[in-house]
Amino acid sequence: MINYIVRRLVLMFPTLIGITLMVFSIMALAPGGVGASLLTRGGDLRPEERAAMEAYINERYGLDKPLPQQYLRWLNNVSPLGFEKVDEGEERFGFKVPDLGMSFAKNRSVTELISEALPITLLLNLLSVPFIYTFSIIMGVYSARYRGSLLDVGLGTTNLALYSLPVIWVGTLFIVFLSSEEYLNWFPTSGLHSLGSNTWTFLPTSSETGFQRGYLLDTFWHLILPLICLSYSSFAFLSKLARTAVLENLQSDYARTARAKGASEASVLWNHVFRNSLLPLITITAGIIPGLLVGSVVVESIFSIDGMGRLVVDSVMVRDREVVLSITLIISILTLISYLIVDICYAIADPRVSYE
Amino acid sequence: MSESSIDTIHKEQAYSARVVREVLSSLGARLGLVWIVLMIICAVFAPLISNTHPYLMIVAGEFSSPFLKYLTWIDVALLCSFLGAIIIWFGLKSIEGWKRLLLMVLVSLLMSILSAWSVSSPRAVIYDQYRMGLESGKIQSAYFAPIPYSPTDRSRDNPAPLQPPGAKHLLGTDEDGADVLSRMIHGSRIALGIGLVATFTSLFLGILYGGVMGFYSGWIDILMMRFLEIFESIPSLFLILTVVAFFGRNIYLIMLIIGLTGWPGYARFLRAEFLKLRQQDFVQAAEASGLPLSSILFRHMLPNGIAPLLVLSSFGMASAILVEATLSFLGLGAIDQPSWAAMLNQAVGPGGSIAIWMATFPGIAIFFTLFAYTLIGEALRDAIDPRLQQQPN
Repeated sequence: MINYIVRRLVLMFPTLIGITLMVFSIMALAPGGVGASLLTRGGDLRPEERAAMEAYINERYGLDKPLPQQYLRWLNNVSPLGFEKVDEGEERFGFKVPDLGMSFAKNRSVTELISEALPITLLLNLLSVPFIYTFSIIMGVYSARYRGSLLDVGLGTTNLALYSLPVIWVGTLFIVFLSSEEYLNWFPTSGLHSLGSNTWTFLPTSSETGFQRGYLLDTFWHLILPLICLSYSSFAFLSKLARTAVLENLQSDYARTARAKGASEASVLWNHVFRNSLLPLITITAGIIPGLLVGSVVVESIFSIDGMGRLVVDSVMVRDREVVLSITLIISILTLISYLIVDICYAIADPRVSYE
Repeated sequence: MSESSIDTIHKEQAYSARVVREVLSSLGARLGLVWIVLMIICAVFAPLISNTHPYLMIVAGEFSSPFLKYLTWIDVALLCSFLGAIIIWFGLKSIEGWKRLLLMVLVSLLMSILSAWSVSSPRAVIYDQYRMGLESGKIQSAYFAPIPYSPTDRSRDNPAPLQPPGAKHLLGTDEDGADVLSRMIHGSRIALGIGLVATFTSLFLGILYGGVMGFYSGWIDILMMRFLEIFESIPSLFLILTVVAFFGRNIYLIMLIIGLTGWPGYARFLRAEFLKLRQQDFVQAAEASGLPLSSILFRHMLPNGIAPLLVLSSFGMASAILVEATLSFLGLGAIDQPSWAAMLNQAVGPGGSIAIWMATFPGIAIFFTLFAYTLIGEALRDAIDPRLQQQPN
């Protein structure tokens, strides 16, 4: 097992290099390159000032170097093991703190930008996974139990329709009907917190001035619509998977044995079949987490939440190379690690699986 | 031709006929097909249905047809290909089914090349001239399309941005004052085109890559699989966003890049099929009898491995359309092309103003299209997947 994990971890490095190299080449080979957008901002500069600015930008980001060298330079900067400038002209090889560079457009360090955005995206995703699983498992188990009934067919069709509903439409409709002042105005239209909510108490309080919902409840109130948008399209796939698994297990030998020993149908379903049916759902988490990370691009844009997805869209539009590369790197690491965790979970959950 | 080969052809036909019959027997797939056919008709006849240029107009006693004059090469290519396809499908019934399909694709390609080469439409278009002309009496009479607005006709003579649906504009106008219904009809071209081009690109690449992996196996397989895994772990929407933002917002580029990122799924599937097929007796027999590689791959293995790919490609069309919709919604879609999702984006204005007709109609169109492809995919899977047939119902 340890052997397997180590092998997978080692294999992650060429994968990450491959991914970042691909994204880097796309940006480098684009007409205009990366630096063009930086220079257009100095449109009304005198020629010598312009030249000075170009030189400054080139020096700072190394844009005048050949492309392979630029990539290696970036790779060296982000890797925890590499060359580091100690003094002027002197370099040391060894472990160091990874440096994600400076954002071209925002003039802030990328580490800072990402450390603000990543927790928000992770919060959204981590909250939506249990949400998705609870609903899908319940739907799947019940449609398997009442197979062929109206409930089963209805749930199947509804889930298929939900799967085809584009998030961009649902999000827009939510904002139009549930959030806008012209219609229901039940939910906030944007952001994660109300204005001034950071001065409130954490938990809801009620005093003589009236009920105040507090920081926690306020955040949840803002999160409801984005969470629904992020989750509903996964229901179809997962509940179908749960349904198939439960159906297969209900017809298996051990379920028949349990019935023969006099266990009630409910006991067979929940005590015997249910736990075995969860296995395929565990493996499929791998497919869900990367999808959610990408899905948050849309959801964050619709609900104006300042997470990774919005950062990606903003930086891609202004050709902010360092930010795009760093986000690609981080999202890829998250994706690969989630694949690995799922494989390990699978081996733990099912003793028949071994990676030796 | 020996008797056994006649027999296989007969069975193959029976198989495809059975699949078609089973797909058509499902209500969902039938509804889906109706919607797709409706979209095809809208896409092909868009300039006939909604156009500011009158079919025919009389100026100073002389007849002229601005409609014909302003047809673009895409309009002509679509109309000619559609006509050609109809003639081939219903006129040449003696030819085998898949050969007819191939012929249709070839004729469409030929028509597109011919019209791209021969048709040139005027670049500068002044839509107001007809309305002005009719008002001032310079144009004596004109015969218009049922919806007398082109998708890019922003009514500069009488601008009406964000009008709610009414008698003049059936589904209202967008923020530039263009007719929403007209833009939606022309937008079906992008939706259909994205699905077809992107899916066929990924299908082609996937078959090539997966076929090579599955046929050679061994270290080539391991090496190619490693690359495939690297490619799969790239968040593809990020990649597409980056490419579109850096290389320009061009609809053909968007089609191509969606296709170029979608192949790993098909490759994986075909590889698994081929690995299974390689062990089968008929492939080993073909190999032992010294048939060339191309014959083994394309005549013996591919027809047996391609059925599941059809199911995948139906879902692939839906996801390609969804990606394009997402791009357009984020403001990275094609410039100045009528796209459903770009209209959806205008529903909520920058100041929080709401244009409800911009949210409902294009949204419904996107949803129906995605649902149609998904339903067809489900029906195809039920018809093709033998494992599902074995299960008692």
